[in-house]
Amino acid sequence: MTTTTTAASSPRLLRWMLLRRLRDGVVVLLLVVTVIFFLAHVVGNPALVFAPVDATDEHIAELHRQFGLDRPVLVRYFEYLGGLIQLDFGESTWQQRPAIDAVVEALPSTIILTVVGLAAAAAAGVIPGVVAGARARKPFDKASNLASVTALSVPNFWLGLLLILLFGVQLGWLPTSGRFETASIVLPAATLGIVHGGRIFQLVRSATFEEMSKPYVTVARSKGLTEWSILRRHVLRNTGVTTATIVGWEYVRMWGGAVFAIEYVFAWPGIGLLTIDAAHRQDFFVLQAAVIIAGAFVIFSNLLIDLGYQFIDRRIAAS
Amino acid sequence: MSLPLLEVDDLHVTFNTASGPVHAVDGVSFTMESGDSLGVVGESGSGKSVTARALLRLFAITDDVRIAGSVRFDGVDLLRIDERKLRDVRGGQIGMIFQDPLTSLNPLMAVGEQIAESLRLHRGMGRSEAAAEAVELLGRVGIADPERRATELPNSFSGGMRQRVMISLAIACRPRLLIADEPTTALDVTVQAEILLLLDELRRSEQMALMLITHDFGVVAATCEDVQVMYAGRLVEKASMVHLFDRANHPYTEGLLRLVPRFEDAHTGRLHPIAGQPPITGGGGSSCAFAPRCSHAFDRCRSEVPPEVAVGPQHLSACWLAAERAKDATEAGRPWKRDP
Ligand SMILES: Nc1ncnc2c1ncn2[C@@H]1O[C@H](COP(=O)(O)OP(=O)(O)OP(=O)(O)O)[C@@H](O)[C@H]1O
Ligand code: SF4
Ligand SMILES: [Mg+2]
Repeated sequence: MTTTTTAASSPRLLRWMLLRRLRDGVVVLLLVVTVIFFLAHVVGNPALVFAPVDATDEHIAELHRQFGLDRPVLVRYFEYLGGLIQLDFGESTWQQRPAIDAVVEALPSTIILTVVGLAAAAAAGVIPGVVAGARARKPFDKASNLASVTALSVPNFWLGLLLILLFGVQLGWLPTSGRFETASIVLPAATLGIVHGGRIFQLVRSATFEEMSKPYVTVARSKGLTEWSILRRHVLRNTGVTTATIVGWEYVRMWGGAVFAIEYVFAWPGIGLLTIDAAHRQDFFVLQAAVIIAGAFVIFSNLLIDLGYQFIDRRIAAS
Repeated sequence: MSLPLLEVDDLHVTFNTASGPVHAVDGVSFTMESGDSLGVVGESGSGKSVTARALLRLFAITDDVRIAGSVRFDGVDLLRIDERKLRDVRGGQIGMIFQDPLTSLNPLMAVGEQIAESLRLHRGMGRSEAAAEAVELLGRVGIADPERRATELPNSFSGGMRQRVMISLAIACRPRLLIADEPTTALDVTVQAEILLLLDELRRSEQMALMLITHDFGVVAATCEDVQVMYAGRLVEKASMVHLFDRANHPYTEGLLRLVPRFEDAHTGRLHPIAGQPPITGGGGSSCAFAPRCSHAFDRCRSEVPPEVAVGPQHLSACWLAAERAKDATEAGRPWKRDP
């Protein structure tokens, strides 16, 4: 796999690249937060959501003051940014505690779910992908390809609902909601595994297939090696780094999308559910804190993957 | 009479592609004895590589390919033995060298290991014995400081050096036949000459037969005693090199020879010396495939496949001109007579 990272060949260049990436990440997060902040404060009104249905106008005005909503938006925006610099993410209007506490509380659930989901996705994607790519156009390739395309094209929440219906409602084998027992993770992680496994399969399959078409594989065959030795001794050695990168990227993608829908469908108490609930309740500081933390996590993982790739790449070049 | 080393009989290779069948090899027959050196010459797309690959059934898993005929190696038909026996022949009995040394080696495996792999497989050597033999082999093909170089990855070798590595890999198990498919096309001239010299030396010292595929008569002249010319999946002329050079019979061969550049320039690329292009779907027709480009073509050429006829000692040509001339000559009791 060719990447732009080959340019960063010296430690100084590497450090510079890192700094630039961090700067870009901060800028992106700032933009996102700004957009959410203004959208939320122009369109929404948390006091209305928080107040009881029969609240009087005075009561609502009182809440307004309490939430600090009576002051100009720009003033509040800069106050918020000032707080961020000191790692103060604001107060949750709904939970009446620092927004960051709600996020930190939800974080482990999401990490556990995504890690288990990724493990499932890697198991479902990597091995079949290698086999299908190595035996391209044979029945297994065709069948697994069909399966993965199906997995890819089904909307993730719909797949989650399907699994709930099947294993929760019809068969009654597994819990379908919340995180109250160990088995609770099975269905949401399986859903993530299927959706992301489908993509991993596609990418690993094509990487393997491409590698198998290279001349050195024909040479290996002309030496009398079995297809299995060719795969194990030659091809996997060359696709290993690519495969690790594919899986790493998929983890990042998970954070950027599916996990939100899946947590919601399965009422899994992670950042995704927190974000969606916060949006419903117009609990903006929690919403913003969740987006910032999730975004920072994505940026950080990205960097980590690139660094790992660089490291392996340079070791290969050096040896 | 002893069995020939290699006896290819009526070999046909057809690819089923999305745009229809391609008859890449269309009834090729030839034999080779131990120690022979045979050049196979023809323009790009004439089926040289496919012929070579068919001998070892070396096709990609995605190729929808049908092979017919027989390839007897030491009396055993390689087209009819099972995969396991075939793998013993590949690398063990028949070695192969490919055109592009830059892509022929695994970029992430030390070159010594790539050679040792073969030795352990076919010669039953242990790890350290194979490693030592690999170093020995690298030295034999002219790589300086082989002990150190054996541990390096291919990207620290130049093109010519990689081709040397590839050669040492192909001869590692003392094959009885070495097939070299355009081994020097990707290299520059001086290196080209060195590699050819090396191949020739090795053929003599290891007593292997050498089948050298090229589109370049200069390369054949430097290395081979016999030559066969291929066009659109068929062999159109076979002779000894010396004989062919001054007595080419087939109009296609004549065309190729007329345009042989001096050896120094011979590497400059795939020539299309004769007006027109070879047919892209290979052979399989019921005419002389060369007829559209042949200035001698007459009616019969377009309606019947010309037979191989003897036009001299150990000299065959598949051309209607030769066939009709031979018939006249035989009737006159003077076979192989050439026009004054
Ligand atoms: N895998 C394949 N699938 C379909 N057609 C093929 C395949 N390999 C070769 N062919 C076709 O077979 C014919 C002969 O190809 P071949 O590679 O043997 O030519 P060649 O004589 O070796 O030419 P070159 O000098 O370019 O190497 C060509 O028309 C080519 O397009
Ligand atoms: S058979 Fe006819 S067309 Fe073919 S080479 Fe001979 S003269 Fe030319
Ligand atoms: Mg070729």
